Amino acid sequence: MLYWLAGLFLPLFPLSMGFNALLVRVRNGPLRAVLLLVWPQLGLSLAFAASNEVPDWVLIVALFTAALYAFRAIALREMGQWIGFLATSAWALLWPVLMSGAEASPIRLYALGFSVPLALLALLGARLESHFGAAYTGLYGGLAETLPRFSGVLVFVVLAVIAVPVFPGFFALFNTVVSTTAAAPSVALSLVVIWLLWSWAGVRLLQGLIIGPANGIEAPDLSAAALWSYTSAIVVLLISGLYFAGDLL
Amino acid sequence: MEQLIIALAALPLLSALSIQLLSARLGRHAARLSVAVTTVTFALAVAMLSSSIGGASGEVALAGSWGILRFDPLGALMAVVIAGISLIVHIYSVRYMVEEAGYARFFVLLDAMTATLLTMVVAGDLITLVVAWHLVGVLLYFLLGQDTRSHSAHRYAFWTLITYRIGDLPLVLAAGLLHYAYGTWSLSEIFARIAVEPAAPMVLGMPLMELVGSLIAAAAFARSAQFLLHTWLPYSMAGPTPVSALMHAGIVNAGGFLINRFAPVFVHTENVLPVVFVVGLVTALIGSSLMLTQNDIKKSLGYSTMGQMGFMIMECGVGAFSLAIYHLIAHGVFKGTLFLGAGSMINAARKSDGVPKDELYSFVVERQPAAVRQPWLLMVAITVAVPVLLLLTAHLLVAEDYFQKQGAIVLLFFGWVTGAQLLYTTYRMQTQNFWRLLRLSVFSLAVVVFGYTLISHAFNLFLYPDEAFREGIYAAANMDLLRFNVLAGLMTALIVLGWLVTYYAEQSGSRAPGHAGQLWLTFYAFISRELYLPDLFTRLTRLLLGAAGRLNVWLRWV
Repeated sequence: MLYWLAGLFLPLFPLSMGFNALLVRVRNGPLRAVLLLVWPQLGLSLAFAASNEVPDWVLIVALFTAALYAFRAIALREMGQWIGFLATSAWALLWPVLMSGAEASPIRLYALGFSVPLALLALLGARLESHFGAAYTGLYGGLAETLPRFSGVLVFVVLAVIAVPVFPGFFALFNTVVSTTAAAPSVALSLVVIWLLWSWAGVRLLQGLIIGPANGIEAPDLSAAALWSYTSAIVVLLISGLYFAGDLL
Repeated sequence: MEQLIIALAALPLLSALSIQLLSARLGRHAARLSVAVTTVTFALAVAMLSSSIGGASGEVALAGSWGILRFDPLGALMAVVIAGISLIVHIYSVRYMVEEAGYARFFVLLDAMTATLLTMVVAGDLITLVVAWHLVGVLLYFLLGQDTRSHSAHRYAFWTLITYRIGDLPLVLAAGLLHYAYGTWSLSEIFARIAVEPAAPMVLGMPLMELVGSLIAAAAFARSAQFLLHTWLPYSMAGPTPVSALMHAGIVNAGGFLINRFAPVFVHTENVLPVVFVVGLVTALIGSSLMLTQNDIKKSLGYSTMGQMGFMIMECGVGAFSLAIYHLIAHGVFKGTLFLGAGSMINAARKSDGVPKDELYSFVVERQPAAVRQPWLLMVAITVAVPVLLLLTAHLLVAEDYFQKQGAIVLLFFGWVTGAQLLYTTYRMQTQNFWRLLRLSVFSLAVVVFGYTLISHAFNLFLYPDEAFREGIYAAANMDLLRFNVLAGLMTALIVLGWLVTYYAEQSGSRAPGHAGQLWLTFYAFISRELYLPDLFTRLTRLLLGAAGRLNVWLRWV
């Protein structure tokens, strides 16, 4: 039973649909961010509380879930849904780490490494929604021209979400891939394909929002204080990424 | 030396950070700072190379067992190349980019790219190498997409990124396998263990070296635009010209570097290098053919690079690893010159063609057809024999046993074909003073052959001083003798047939008439449309996007 509940919080398809339906209904940015931070930690607590071993079939379902949501994310245009799908895909990849018998604290950090950029993106998405009525790619575009500070932060946050070096997501995925390459090559191969799909989805999101001629819509850019806050968060992410690298050794 | 190598990688990064933080205050002076730092970086790279020539080597670990920077001949040589090309691109960009939006951002990215490339070539452990290898693709995406208003620039930048990401993944898997087998990230330790225990352990029922070698070769193929992973290259010209120069001169060549870096792995493989050779050969042939049939000069340059990368990979495939390094440097210099010089050449040519009307120009360009042609049998003899003589003499100078190696014979074969093609073209020019033109051609060929042979031999001694290791690489590249002979015979027959067809077509005064002519046109259309590969990939992308969209609808977007 605990594993079924964990399957809801570390989303496994079709239980993952519940999380995504919930996330779409939460319209408040900070609340979304909190949800993204807390949700996988609850799943991990449930998984750690379960005394018996994780059944082998969970690995297949987890990889299928991660691949399915990564693939579906390439066609998404609404940022809120995109965040939900990437979160589902990333958190499902915690199952292979759980099944490898790793200790609790690194797995919790991996989950945080995936969640923090997603939470930041949720805040940025909320800002877009408040200014333009929707955080939707291809609708207005050209944000690099009109909102340069916002766009700069958005680029770094999306790069963190899609696990580019040296953000924590990169090292979490890298560690998972290298630890499975020899023992379970099919798992490693699935992981790298999922990683590739994240890159595709991330670039499509960025191109739909920041690329193109200035749209003529007036909107205030990030204030200096907000810029420094986001920059600090990104720097912390980068430093913690290097911490993850240390954890590899 | 440790401080030198750390400074080499850190200086451009510090420059990038400084410009990013101070761009508002620095304004247009940001570029000056960037150029100054790159000049110092270049000087450090030259100092490092000098030390390396003097026999110095070693490594420094920044953070325990990762973040290792390795100081060896290959890294030192590549660092000079990268820092040098980067410096030229920096200087060029100061004025070229001045009217573009995002001037400071451009230099931040350029410095970050320089730092990443330098880190990549001096990386002494697998994690640092993978991180740098991955970041090159990401930074290149943003450099190519410097113009944030241009959808097309970003579309093709995306093609580049996704191909590079495809190339990152085999390297990650190779890193995983090496770490699993040897329990360390350090390249020095891994290579030392491989040297001590050449009998590689089996993984997944395959010798580890074969598997790792194949994965590294795959990563190199994606980075160096080998056939089927090449479509991004000719389309990435929408980026700024300095980026094109940097990309064609210093980034796309990374495949050759990677194969050289993992030479201690490839030396213990049996079947990987012959495959590398075939992939390089196919890429060289297709890239060169596509280059000849493009109407767009930029695309033509892109396919020219693809052809050159094919040759470079092919050289690795025959075991001439150091020759590949020389090739990538030579290609980088001339292709960088082409890109950076093209704009001013076009501009100057609008006012005056600038071609000197001297005797040599009149002789070579404004030639008059000769009344009498030379006897064809004599010409065939010269065409076939002269390149062979030149090549044999040049190679006997550097190594008497050179011809014992299969790879050397392949290279000589290509050298012979190129030389013979040059002389054949000379013959076809039908100039009045044929013998003078022939002397000029043979002299040029001799300079190239002797220069190339001597320099590549010097590179070989510098990069791979251990003779047994050099022999081992050539041995690893050997293919089955029967297959080798059949391939060589087939290639010779194809080339001679091509010459005969050209000769008879010119003699009869027309290209293949009737059905054959139609077939030729169809073939030409196929080639000029780039084998329809960009269309195929675009279609495939749309299919995948459509499938993902339909899945979303069926699953109610949750």
